[in-house]
Amino acid sequence: MSEIKDPKALEQPAKAKKPKINLNRLEMPKQEPADRRRNFNEVATGYTYEMAMEEAHRCLQCKKRNCQDGCPVNIDIPDFIHALQQGDIKEASRVLKTKTSLPGVCGRVCPQEVQCEKHCTLNKKGAPIAIGRLERFIADWERSQGGFTLPEMAPSSGKKVAVVGSGPSGLTVASDLAIRGHQVVQFEALHVAGGVLVYGIPEFRLPKAIVRREVEYVKTLGVDLRLDTVIGINYSLDELLNGEFHAVYLATGAGLPKFLNIPGENLNMVYSANEFLTRTNLMKAYLYPEYATPVKIGKRVAVIGGGNVAMDSARCSVRLGAQEVCVIYRRTRAEMPARLEEVENAEEEGVKFYFLCNPTALLSDGRTNVSAMELVRMRLTEPDESGRRRPVPIPGSETIMDFDTVVVSLGTSPNPLISSTTPDLEVTRRGTVVADEHGKTSKARVWAGGDLVSGGATVISAMGEGRRAAAAMHEFLSNGRKKIIPPSPATE
Amino acid sequence: MFSIVKHQELAPKVHRLSVQAPVIAEKAKPGQFVILITDDKGERVPFTISGWDREAGTVDFVFIEVGATTRKLATLGPGDQLAHFVGPLGLPAKIDHYGHVVTLLSGYGLAAMVPILRALKEQDNRITSILQAPDQERLFEMETLTELSDELVLAVGTRGEHMTESATMALRQLLGNHRRVPVDRVIAMCSICLMRVASEMTRPLAIKTLVHLTPVMVDGTGMCGACRLSVKGANRFACVHGPEFDGHEVEGWDVLMARRCTYADESILQQGFQCRGCSQW
Ligand SMILES: Cc1cc2nc3c(=O)[nH]c(=O)nc-3n(C[C@H](O)[C@H](O)[C@H](O)COP(=O)(O)OP(=O)(O)OC[C@H]3O[C@@H](n4cnc5c(N)ncnc54)[C@H](O)[C@@H]3O)c2cc1C
Ligand code: FES
Repeated sequence: MSEIKDPKALEQPAKAKKPKINLNRLEMPKQEPADRRRNFNEVATGYTYEMAMEEAHRCLQCKKRNCQDGCPVNIDIPDFIHALQQGDIKEASRVLKTKTSLPGVCGRVCPQEVQCEKHCTLNKKGAPIAIGRLERFIADWERSQGGFTLPEMAPSSGKKVAVVGSGPSGLTVASDLAIRGHQVVQFEALHVAGGVLVYGIPEFRLPKAIVRREVEYVKTLGVDLRLDTVIGINYSLDELLNGEFHAVYLATGAGLPKFLNIPGENLNMVYSANEFLTRTNLMKAYLYPEYATPVKIGKRVAVIGGGNVAMDSARCSVRLGAQEVCVIYRRTRAEMPARLEEVENAEEEGVKFYFLCNPTALLSDGRTNVSAMELVRMRLTEPDESGRRRPVPIPGSETIMDFDTVVVSLGTSPNPLISSTTPDLEVTRRGTVVADEHGKTSKARVWAGGDLVSGGATVISAMGEGRRAAAAMHEFLSNGRKKIIPPSPATE
Repeated sequence: MFSIVKHQELAPKVHRLSVQAPVIAEKAKPGQFVILITDDKGERVPFTISGWDREAGTVDFVFIEVGATTRKLATLGPGDQLAHFVGPLGLPAKIDHYGHVVTLLSGYGLAAMVPILRALKEQDNRITSILQAPDQERLFEMETLTELSDELVLAVGTRGEHMTESATMALRQLLGNHRRVPVDRVIAMCSICLMRVASEMTRPLAIKTLVHLTPVMVDGTGMCGACRLSVKGANRFACVHGPEFDGHEVEGWDVLMARRCTYADESILQQGFQCRGCSQW
């Protein structure tokens, strides 16, 4: 962390001088690795006011808004930073909120390094403005002020919309449509709203209080949130459409875990990342027995995969007391889909990485508990037409490593509960729902977005798709002249 | 919140709760289950639905006091509330006219099988039920089971009229008689060991045998994979593809049994069926 400069310098109005280029990108204070290895508190503690001001003042306020173009939801980044430079956090927050409903979340979990910050002019010098950290600072400031600043609500349209799923995509559509005057009922299968933000992403990366607050906000807008309700079971999609709802937004995410399909995968102490993270985060197993759900973990943990989910699983394992945690990935560090920052965090916390390795079998201790993993070394082929280098096994390079816990984190695909009960909803071979750029699906009056359509992407893209779909749905709902739109042909 | 409207103690440490849950009652089918959470810090625990009343909007389930959650449930009664109650989960049991159906019941299966028996009866099946319990005291739902079964065989550890020591012995007798009095189908909702043994006994005779499996579950909607098992070479999730499976297609019973007991010592599950001599205990 660099030092804070002379506070007087900060008080100077921004426009006084032509800004000098300052390449001193401010780090965020973090808990020391040795401490955070043993707790689930947030790792990065966020900028102080002074730090945020100093970082904001590095911004050159370029005419060409490259950073904004790099943002999947086109946040007016130079404008909110400008407001910060003026010391007007309230205005900064307002600017932010016109494009994102979840700044406290996005500021923490967005891969800024491949989005806005990648396009920052100062990135050419290796020191892009820490846009994500500023976004987080503004959101945290707003939260510390208590209460919500409620947007202006349109008068009631008399139209009723169902939103299925309460992850970032569903929350966005629910709030956007509620603000536009539509009555929104939001259905969630689990007992807590928030989707992956509550069941997947751990507390130390995204405190649940932040998600809770976002959900509270959506409820204050008048959204009727119904937990413990599974669409496809309690009500079919057609029942929603033929009943009280004029339109439906599907945002059920990609919750179905993939497995390796290798021998021994069902042995005891082999988890899907979803199970492991759900126990740990949603059910709060790290607070067992105060919370009733336990999670069993051994001494040597292998996490298979190289994405954010794998990093989260590895870092949860460390905190749950594993002695050694190894990430097994079949490509190299360069191809890892996980955010760089999280990979570094994991390394600092003692997680070991084994690249170019692929598990071929899990072995039993004789009592059907996993005790070892057979791996084969991989090499990357020359780039194919798509420029991708495929990993292929090196024959005869098998080795065995001892592990007593294995977490499989190979990605997920959409849960077929709704598509299997809705024959006229077009899905791809991968199980994702087919939707156009406005989120419109093949089925009348049904829109979809988020991981359900993308097959697994990011919080910000799930939110962005929600934004666009909400706009399209609003247009549809406003144009429908008749109060009751004829239901689509019955399909049952 | 979901109100408890009735609590009945059926036998020592065996209870039936009725819960106000109209949305679930509306769609419940035989063989499906619910997942409940007692309070904000509670775990998600699955229970097979043992009955429902669509008009009153209530759903019943029967549980045996074993772990922390079931002990807590046992203290609740009318006026108390459950924080969460979701269902009906899983696929309904397959019901048709099969002819002569033999059912194997133990533990909470004595009550949870009732909706299946009723539906089978409506399809004009002849039903022989084999009930297993440690002793007479721990038999329950006898009246309903007697009414729904054409023949009832008790396996309660003591020999006597209509009684044998074990359910496997009773099943062996019935299968021995298979040529004269054919058994068209076996449906088991009992200890996992018994379901496994029954499946092996019927395999040579090619009698379709359905088992109701209850591996450890977390979400119950196909999201976590905790409940996975291998069926005919494919990975299946008991919460969405089951809980009823063809016992002859289930592979890796050892792993299935071990996985079921992963958390037994943490007193998490309502592991209604504790088997003697199991390596995991
Ligand atoms: C562990 C983990 C870490 C991640 N880290 C990052 C990160 O650092 N940065 C980033 O940008 N992205 C990250 N992601 C990805 C990101 O979380 C997702 O892209 C995003 O949450 C998708 O949002 P969604 O609204 O489409 O779906 P989800 O968040 O999955 O929400 C879907 C909701 O719908 C509910 N639901 C499902 N089926 C039904 C049904 N039939 N009826 C009713 N409700 C239903 C589910 O219970 C769930 O609550 C991570 C994902 C995971 C799993
Ligand atoms: S309980 Fe999670 S997938 Fe079945």
